[in-house]
Amino acid sequence: LLQKKSDVYSVEDLWDKRSRKTDIGDEEEKYKDLKGNKKKRRQKTLRKKWRTFYSLSFSLSFGIQDDHKLSASELEEKYGTSVNKGLSSARAAEILARDGPNSLTPPKATPEIVKFLKQMVGGFSILLWIGAVFSWISFGIQLAQGAESPFDNLYLGVVLALVVILTGIFAYYQEAKSTNIMASFSKMIPQQALVIRDAEKKELPADQLVVGDIVEIKGGDRIPADIRLIFTQGCKVDNSSLTGESEPQSRSCDFTHENPLETRNIAFYSTTCVEGTATGIVINTGDRTVIGRIASLTSGVGNEKTPIAIEIEHFVYLVAGVAISIGVLFFIISVSMRYKILDSIIFLIGIIVANVPEGLLATVTVSLSLTAKRMAKKNCLVKNLEAVETLGSTSIICSDKTGTLTQNRMTVAHLWFDNQIYSADTSEDQTTQPFDQSSPSWTALSKIVTLCNRAEFRPGQENLPIMKRVVVGDASETALLKFAEVILGDVMSIRARNRKVAEIPFNSTNKFQLSIHETDDPNDKRFLLVMKGAPERILERCSTIMINGKEEPLDSEKAEAFQTAYMELGGLGERVLGFCHLYLPEDEFPDTYPFDTDSMNFPTSNLCFVGLLSMIDPPRSTVPDAVSKCRSAGIKVIMVTGDHPITAKAIAKSVGIISATSETVEDIAKRLNIPVEQVNRREATAAVVNGMELKDMSLQQLDEILCNHSEIVFARTSPQQKLIIVEGCQRQGAVVAVTGDGVNDSPALKKADIGIAMGIAGSDAAKNAADMVLLDDNFASIVTGVEEGRLIFDNLKKTIAYTLTKNIAELCPFLIYIIASIPMPIGTITILFIDLGTDIIPSVALAYEKAESDIMNRRPRNKRKDRLVNEQLAVYSYLQIGIMQSVGAFITYFTVYAEQGFLPSTLLGVRVDWENNAINDFEDSYGQQWTKYQRMYLQWTGYTAFFVSITIQQVADLIIRKTRRNSIFQQGLFRNKVIWVGIFSQIGIALILTYGLGHVTALNFTPLRFQYWFVAVPFAILIWVYDEVRKLFIRRYPGSWWDKNMYY
Amino acid sequence: MKNYKSLKQVKLPRVGLILLFYLVFYGFLAALFTFTMWVMLQTLSSDIPKYRDRISSPGLMISPKPDTALEFYFNKSDAQSYAEYVSTLRKFLESYDDSKQSQNINCTPGRIFDQNDVAVKKACRFNLSELGQCSGKEDKTFGYSKGTPCVLVKMNRIIGLKPEGEPRIHCTSKEEGMVEINYFPPEGLIDLMYFPYYGKSLHAHYLQPLVAVQLAINSNSTKEEIAIECKILGSPNLKNEDDRDKFLGRIAFKVQMTE
Repeated sequence: LLQKKSDVYSVEDLWDKRSRKTDIGDEEEKYKDLKGNKKKRRQKTLRKKWRTFYSLSFSLSFGIQDDHKLSASELEEKYGTSVNKGLSSARAAEILARDGPNSLTPPKATPEIVKFLKQMVGGFSILLWIGAVFSWISFGIQLAQGAESPFDNLYLGVVLALVVILTGIFAYYQEAKSTNIMASFSKMIPQQALVIRDAEKKELPADQLVVGDIVEIKGGDRIPADIRLIFTQGCKVDNSSLTGESEPQSRSCDFTHENPLETRNIAFYSTTCVEGTATGIVINTGDRTVIGRIASLTSGVGNEKTPIAIEIEHFVYLVAGVAISIGVLFFIISVSMRYKILDSIIFLIGIIVANVPEGLLATVTVSLSLTAKRMAKKNCLVKNLEAVETLGSTSIICSDKTGTLTQNRMTVAHLWFDNQIYSADTSEDQTTQPFDQSSPSWTALSKIVTLCNRAEFRPGQENLPIMKRVVVGDASETALLKFAEVILGDVMSIRARNRKVAEIPFNSTNKFQLSIHETDDPNDKRFLLVMKGAPERILERCSTIMINGKEEPLDSEKAEAFQTAYMELGGLGERVLGFCHLYLPEDEFPDTYPFDTDSMNFPTSNLCFVGLLSMIDPPRSTVPDAVSKCRSAGIKVIMVTGDHPITAKAIAKSVGIISATSETVEDIAKRLNIPVEQVNRREATAAVVNGMELKDMSLQQLDEILCNHSEIVFARTSPQQKLIIVEGCQRQGAVVAVTGDGVNDSPALKKADIGIAMGIAGSDAAKNAADMVLLDDNFASIVTGVEEGRLIFDNLKKTIAYTLTKNIAELCPFLIYIIASIPMPIGTITILFIDLGTDIIPSVALAYEKAESDIMNRRPRNKRKDRLVNEQLAVYSYLQIGIMQSVGAFITYFTVYAEQGFLPSTLLGVRVDWENNAINDFEDSYGQQWTKYQRMYLQWTGYTAFFVSITIQQVADLIIRKTRRNSIFQQGLFRNKVIWVGIFSQIGIALILTYGLGHVTALNFTPLRFQYWFVAVPFAILIWVYDEVRKLFIRRYPGSWWDKNMYY
Repeated sequence: MKNYKSLKQVKLPRVGLILLFYLVFYGFLAALFTFTMWVMLQTLSSDIPKYRDRISSPGLMISPKPDTALEFYFNKSDAQSYAEYVSTLRKFLESYDDSKQSQNINCTPGRIFDQNDVAVKKACRFNLSELGQCSGKEDKTFGYSKGTPCVLVKMNRIIGLKPEGEPRIHCTSKEEGMVEINYFPPEGLIDLMYFPYYGKSLHAHYLQPLVAVQLAINSNSTKEEIAIECKILGSPNLKNEDDRDKFLGRIAFKVQMTE
C-alpha cells in the first residue's frame, strides 16, 4: 500500500506544479467573486479539471502496477507467456475475448435521438410548439362549442408542428452530414505490429494485440500498446505526444524510476520509436493504456459555447422577446377590447408566427455549412459548423512552430567559405541555388557535402522534384543530400565514381563523421578523406584553411573569422556543421592500403578546413505573408514551441511574428549595455519567454506579459503549459485559436475557443479534441479560414436583416386587424409560405456575397460590442424598411378590396360581421351583398395580394442587403449570381403558389389579377433608393449621428 | 451628480434627434400612404365597383335571421318567444311600405328592366300585398302565433345581375309530412323586372324582390326540429349547387315550434 502511495505522488509531480498554481489562481478568483460571480463557473470547471487530473494520476499508477520493477522471467510468469515463443494463438484469442481489441474506444457520442430532440426544442421551436398547442386548444374549444369551421385551427397546429419537425430534421441532417465528413476523415489505415506467437513472428493488425504478447519494434514504428521492454538496442522513443518532451528519450530494459511514467523500460501506446530496435511484453491494451486514460479524460472536458452560438442565442432571445411581448401586449389589448378569449388566443398565435423567422435558423445552418465547404477546399476542415465563425472572431492565434510555421524539414540556409557567408534558397520548391559557385573552395566543399553523407534517396523517385523525394537518413543529412542534389545533380553517381573505402559514422562522443574515398580523377591516385561535424571539433583537427581554393595556414586571425561566422550563424538559430578534408599522400596510402576504422590507421588531425554549412527548418514561404495579414487584421500571433529560444526567435523574426524593428527586453539590455533588470519592460514590444521561466511565473506575471507585449514567443514549453497560455489569453477577453498535434495538446485544444489540429502530423486525440483540422498543417490556411469566418459573420448579418424585415410586414396586419377590425390582411399559413418558401433561397444566396472591403484590414470583432444582431440592425429592419414594406403591402390590400367593392372606409370595424358565418348578405360600399364564402374568397385574394407585395418588396430588400456600406453599384449587381437565382426562385415560387396552387383552398391562395403584382413596385423602388441614400450618408459622414444610428 | 448631468446633456439631444427622425420618417410615410390611397381611389368609379368577378352569382338569405345559427325556436302560445322575429320582420318590411315607395314605378312584369341609357335609374315597386298572409297586414305576428311562421327569402343584390329564365324560390323539408310550405307570391316566383340592380348611388330606392315562405307545421310535428332548404330554381345563370358556398343560391335553416 505504501508503495502505491509513493507512486501517486510521483505521478502528480509529473502532471506538474501547475496544480499548485491553479490553487493560487482559484483563491484570486474567489476574491474576484466578491465583486461579481461571473468567474464562478470558470473556476468550477478549472477545479473539476484538476480533480480529474488527480484521479487520473491515481488510476494511471494503478494501471501499470509494478511491471517495470519485475524481471523478464517474473513477467513471463505473470502474463503466462514466453519471451521466445510468445503466446499461443489459442491463449491470445482467449485474452482478446476477455479484454477486447487493442484500440481506443471513440469518445462517447451523444445518442442520435438526443441530438434529434435537441433540434426539436432549440431556437424558436419552443415558440412554435406553443403556437401549435394553442391552436389545438382553440380547436378543442371550438369543437366543443360546435363552431362551424374548427378544423382551421387543427390544421394550423399541424402545420406549425410540421414546420418545427421539418426544420428540426433539416438541422439534424446538416449536422450529421458535417459530422460524417469528420468521421470518414478520422478513419486511419490500420496499424500493423510484429508479434511473436506460437514461436513464430507474425504481422498482425495492432488491434489484435493482447496482454502478454511479445512484440518487436524498430525505428519509425508507432508503439502498438503499453509495452514493458525486455530487449533494446539503441532504442529511442518520441514521447512528445504524451508528455510534451520534445527530445527523443532513450529506452532500455533497466528499471530506472519508481514512477512507471518515468522509468525507461516502458514504452507507451501511440508514441513513436525514433531509432533502434526493441522487444517487449504488452502490459496494457486499448483503453487501459496510459493514452487511453488521457483520451477518455479529455473527452470529459466540456466545450464552451462558440461565439456564433452565443450570438444566435442572443438573437433568438431578442426576437422571441419581441414576439412574446407584442403577443402578450396585444392579447391584453384584444381582451380589453372585448374580443373573446379564444379569438385573442388565435391572435396570439398569429403574432407569434408572424414574428418568428421560421426559416432563419435553417438558413444560418446552410450558410455556415456552405462556408465550411469552402473552407474545406482551402484545407480547413471544420468539425463543428459553428467553429466557422469562431475562426473569424479570433483575436489571438497560438501557433506551433514546427510544421505549422515551418516546412518541418531541415534545409541548408547558409554557407561560409572563403571568409564569406552565402545564403541559400530555402523555399519549398527550389530547383537551383543562386549563390556564387565559382570559387574552387566551393568545389571542395561540395565534394565533402556529397561524399561525407550516408543519406540516400529511396529508389524510384526520379520523376519527383528533388524537394519532394523521400530520403533514408537523418534530418541534417537529408538536408545536405538534397542541397547537393539541387546544385550538383546526380549525387548517387558522384558517390559511385568516388568509391567509399572506409567510414566512421557520426557518434556523440566523436561528434564527427568521416569517410575515405577514391577520387574520380583518374590521374590522381590519392585517397580523399572527408569529415564533417560540430564546427569547433572540426576546427580543432585542422591546421590549414582553404581560401579561394588554396590551403593557407590557420592562424589566429582566420580562427577569429571562423568564430565570428559560427556565432553569427548560431545566432540565427541554425544548426551549424563544419567541413574539412585531406588528400592522403599517395606514397603513404597506396591503392591497397587497408584502412581500419577501429584503430584509425590514418590521420584525423592537421586537416584542411573548408567551410561551414548551417541548416534550419525554414518557414513556409506563405507564412510571412499570412502573419502580416494577421497583423493588419488585428490578430496577435503567439508562437508556442518546444524548441530552443534562439531558434524560435529566429523563426519568429523571419516570419514576422517578431517584427524587424521590435526588441525584447534582452535586446534592449544588450543595446544599452545595461543589466536586464534595469530595462523598462514596457519599452520592449517583443518577448521571448522560456518554458522554465513560465513554470515559476504567477498568473499575474503571465497576464502582464500577455498584456504588455504585442509580439510573444514561448519557447521550450510543454503542451501542459500551452493550456496555461491559452487560459491567460482568454483572461484578456480574447477569442483564442490554438494549433496542436500531440495527444497532450488536447486539453489546450479543448480549452481554446477554436482548437486547430494538424491534419498530417496530428494525433487522433488532438483531432478529436479540436474544432477544426488543418489538412495541410499550414499556418497560412488558418488565415484564409479567418477571412472566411469574418465574411460569413458579415453575411449572416445581411441574411438576418433580410429575414427580419418582412416579419414586420407580417406582423402589422395582425396588429391593425386587432385594432382597426379590418378583414384579416394575411393568413398564418401564408406567412409560413413566405418564411419557408419564397424567402429561403434568397437568404441563403446572401451567404455567397463577396466582402465589401478588405475584411482583413479591420480588427477582430469585440465579443461584447459587435453583436451579430445589434440595435441598429433590428431598428433599421423593423422600424424603417419593415414599416415601408408594410405600407406597400397595405396599399395593395386596400386596392384589391376597393376594386372589388369594399372601399377602405367600409372596411374599418367590420371584423365581427365580416367573420360571422350566419351573415350571408354582407353589404359592400356599392350596395351589393356578399355571402360568407364570397367574402372569404375575397379575403384570400387579399392574402395573396399581401403575399405578392411582400415578395416583390423582399426582392428590393434582398438587393439592398447585398451591402451594408457600399453602394450597390460599387458592389456590382451581377457579381453574386446566386442572388439572381434567389430573386428568380422567389418570384417563381410566388407565381406557382398564386396561379398553380391558387385553387387549393386549404392553402388560402387565389389567382390574382396581374396588375396587383405591380402595386408595390414603387415601394420596392423607394426602399432601394432610401437605402442607397442611407449608405451614401454613411460613407460621406463617417462617425456622424447618421452613421452611428443607421449602420448595422 | 456631475456625471448624471453630463449624461443627461449627452442623451437628451440624441433621443430627441431620433424622435425627430422618426417623426419625419413616419410623417413622410403617412403622407405617401395617404397620397397613394387617394390616387387609387380616384381611379375608382363611385357608381360601380371595378370588378365584380368575386360575386358572379347571388347568395340567398332569410329574414328574420336568428342571432345564433339559422335556427328558429319559438312557442306559438308565448308571444315573447317570437317577438324578436316579428319585430325584425316588421322593421325589414318598413322600407317596402307603400308610403316609402311613392317614387317607385310600376314596371312591366316578366321582363328585365334595362335602364342602361337612363341617367336616373328608377326602382320598381314591390307591393307588400304580394306577400299575402306574410305581409304582416292581416296577421301582425306573421303567422307565428298560429303555427304558420313566415320566413322571407331574398336574393343578394349584385350590380348588373340579369337572371335568365324564370327564377323562383323552392323550399323542401327533409322530414316529409311535417310541414306544408306555401309561397307568396305564388310558386315563389321572382319577377325579372327587378333586375338589374345599378348600385347604391344610382339606384338609391331599389328594393330587392322578396319571396315569403309560409311553413304550416303539422300540429303533431311540434317539438321536432324541421330542416328546411330553399333553393333558387328555374334560372340557368343562378348557381345553387356550390360545394363550398352553402349560401350560393340556397339556404338551409331549422324551425322548431312548441305549443
